[in-house]
Amino acid sequence: MIAVIAEQRDGRLNRATWETIAAAQQLAGGMPIKVAVLGAATGGVAQEVASAAVVEVLVAEHAALEPYTPDAYASAARTLIESAAPTYVLLPHTYQTRDFAPLLAARLRKPLITDVTGITGSGAGATFVRPMFQGKLAAQVKPLGGSPAIVTTQIGAFRADAAQKGGSASITKIDIQIDPTTVRQKPEAPFREAKQAVDLGQAERIVAVGRGIKSQENIPLAEKLAKAIDAEVAASRPICDNGWLPMERQIGSSGQTVAPKLYVALGISGAIQHLVGMKGSRTIVAINKDAEAPIFEVADYGIVGDLFEIAPAIIAELEKS
Amino acid sequence: MDPTTSTSRETLEVDVLIVGGGPAGLSAALRLAQLQQGAGRSGPNGPSLQVAVLEKAREAGAHMLSGAVLDLSTLRDLIPDYKDKGAPLVAEVDDEDVLFLTETSKISLPIIPPPLKNHGNYIISLNQFVRWLTSQVEAAGVDFFSGFAGEDVLMDGERVIGVRTPDRGIDKHGNPKPTFEPGVDIHAKVTIFCDGVRGNLTKELMRRLPLGDSRHPQQFAIGLKELWEIPPDRLKAGSVVHTLGYPLKHEEFGGGFIYAMPHGQLSIGFVAGLDYKDPLFDPHMAFNRFKQHPFVSSLLAGGQMIRYGAKALPEGGWNTIPRVYMDGALIAGDAGAFLNSMRLKGIHLAMRTGMLAAETAFDAVRAGDTSAAGLKAYKERIDRSAVRDELYPVRNAHQAFEYGLFPGLAFAGVAVVTHGWSPVDLQGHPGHQRMKQLAWYYGSRQTNVDRPSNATTIDRRLTFDKLTNVHFSGTSHDEDQPSHLLVHTEVCSSICGPEYGHPCTRFCPANVYEIAHEADGTPRLQINAANCVHCKTCDIMDPYQVITWVPPEDGGGPQYNGM
Repeated sequence: MIAVIAEQRDGRLNRATWETIAAAQQLAGGMPIKVAVLGAATGGVAQEVASAAVVEVLVAEHAALEPYTPDAYASAARTLIESAAPTYVLLPHTYQTRDFAPLLAARLRKPLITDVTGITGSGAGATFVRPMFQGKLAAQVKPLGGSPAIVTTQIGAFRADAAQKGGSASITKIDIQIDPTTVRQKPEAPFREAKQAVDLGQAERIVAVGRGIKSQENIPLAEKLAKAIDAEVAASRPICDNGWLPMERQIGSSGQTVAPKLYVALGISGAIQHLVGMKGSRTIVAINKDAEAPIFEVADYGIVGDLFEIAPAIIAELEKS
Repeated sequence: MDPTTSTSRETLEVDVLIVGGGPAGLSAALRLAQLQQGAGRSGPNGPSLQVAVLEKAREAGAHMLSGAVLDLSTLRDLIPDYKDKGAPLVAEVDDEDVLFLTETSKISLPIIPPPLKNHGNYIISLNQFVRWLTSQVEAAGVDFFSGFAGEDVLMDGERVIGVRTPDRGIDKHGNPKPTFEPGVDIHAKVTIFCDGVRGNLTKELMRRLPLGDSRHPQQFAIGLKELWEIPPDRLKAGSVVHTLGYPLKHEEFGGGFIYAMPHGQLSIGFVAGLDYKDPLFDPHMAFNRFKQHPFVSSLLAGGQMIRYGAKALPEGGWNTIPRVYMDGALIAGDAGAFLNSMRLKGIHLAMRTGMLAAETAFDAVRAGDTSAAGLKAYKERIDRSAVRDELYPVRNAHQAFEYGLFPGLAFAGVAVVTHGWSPVDLQGHPGHQRMKQLAWYYGSRQTNVDRPSNATTIDRRLTFDKLTNVHFSGTSHDEDQPSHLLVHTEVCSSICGPEYGHPCTRFCPANVYEIAHEADGTPRLQINAANCVHCKTCDIMDPYQVITWVPPEDGGGPQYNGM
């Protein structure tokens, strides 16, 4: 028997589970497949996976499984595996699996084969293919040490749409016991790193500053001009290297590529590395002391002069209207 | 727990590890595969040897740059059916010229000096040649790991036991990222170091073992090159032009090269000795001035620069070759200074030493003796080979140029006639020690350290600033990693600025080193490591020897397509 441990969060199935079901079907060679769903309130996940060509869906719900902790999951999975006695346990190689599958394998003292990209043969004698040395080599691995062998499948290595549907798997609730005192982790609420505050690619107008701005104290001048024309502030590389503006505002070959309606370049000489990131802008206005600066080769309007005189004059004029 | 220091590493065991997928390393790998198959060697086949090649570039050949004119002698021995196998030999040399340039005119030398005769040689793109050679090596069943550099030599006492690849996934502050992966230890019975000119591992070996004792100091030059597209009828494919003289002063070693390929493609470059005295000299400016010479600019007029790159080359010759065998390791190719600076050729010597290293390693592994004594046969093979025949007679030639262009030329001429007879060998000096301090070189004259002494106009059509050129090298590095140029910056503003005027900003051909000024005006060295084209010039030429080049992570570097 092959057990697939589905991954769900808040009653929503992780799509990679279908890839793992497809892998299990390829591996089966006549062996029955059961899908296990773990969680506190798994909602319609069991019904969803029951549409696959598998014999049974096992649902193990327990309050201790929410929120996710490696200890509770390893404990629940262990109980399931010990009662169902599968030959293989398959999981998608997600962050969550990476977190608890090694613990599970260690608790069971069974082999763990991670990040599998292919399976040769089927049934008990199958061989698993996994990358080594960042994919330079492919290792063929045969599990030793008794069943079950725990196998995680690389995301994208098996096709979700290749999973055969059967539609008639029965759904069985399994009682599991988790002693809450054995759960050592107390997770904080999940968070994402703050979304990038600025998406320069969407900006219609950009005021970009270069070395000509001279010092960090002068950045507010650019910000003031940007505010006056409702633009985002961006910069060339040296400004971001110096930390005067955050990296996410860097335009050019090592930053973002933009094509706004209006691009105002303040004190930017126009190294080719910068030009490749902005030359698609519809109208380019360049202000620079050096008449030979390459930025003037791409500018629609060029002002040769001191940006510390010209920018304030423009701002004053805009504020009048 | 800091995962960067205490993670357990994966280990890979091989019989022969080759570090560097250039002409030397690939020739070694292919020769090993051939010996394995029993070709070119009688006797019973022993057990199969595990061979692996490490190459720091993400793709085979991506960091390869040379002129290049190839002497086919080694290729014929290594791959006799190279034509059928599609070796990318671009054009046979059928017209050659050596010019002496003055500022406005040129004088053709009446005869081509014998070392510069290129009849029967072929113009190639080393990048394409190496890509092809890699395909031959892979077809022979050798594991080729691109994107993996060697960062450290692994030693057991005096014995080399392998190399360690760099950790991956470290951010620029040295902290592990979520993608952190520790480097891999690769253990080998014999490691063949083919890490190129001023290879970081060979440098490490020479520091830890007495390989350079009683040898002359290493000597280097920097070569800068551009690929141009010009109107196809302007210079016949197969034409080879070398120049001497302008824009260099007589005290400076070097010259230009122009190689014409089909369809109007032109390799044009300039080599400048890394032993110049003028601290304000800039090799990249010399290249620009070379292109501005009327003869060169008329060739390039209306054309377009499409690629750029730079690479140091070992110039010292025979007497500067270190001991190339030790317990558990051999050195081949540019890493061991196997280059003929009079012929401007090293690819065939790199390939030859790679082959000889492979033969030695093969015998030693099968005989079970990979100690220095077991590997000494490599040196004996070199001494019996065409490598010595070619390098020994010109062993003093580069050193003679320390006395200036004309004494150097005269000496080189005599060496050719007498096959290198000399009552005493000339002792060269490390190039970085020949650079003079500003006060010594310029005396009381006013100097402007923000401008090279050989500065010229940059029009971004014929002549380029370094930043524009770097763009055409295709160089890219992951920005969020520690700098792979380790610099003791405390000497920069305190000593180096006043004494030499920050020469790193000039000898680097890729704008890696910049002097930025703090708000209070204090100069501060800014290292734009992402621009680095891996030429190694800074590691060689910095007067205080405080710059160490180490491989960046994850195969970063130039993308020398067609160079």
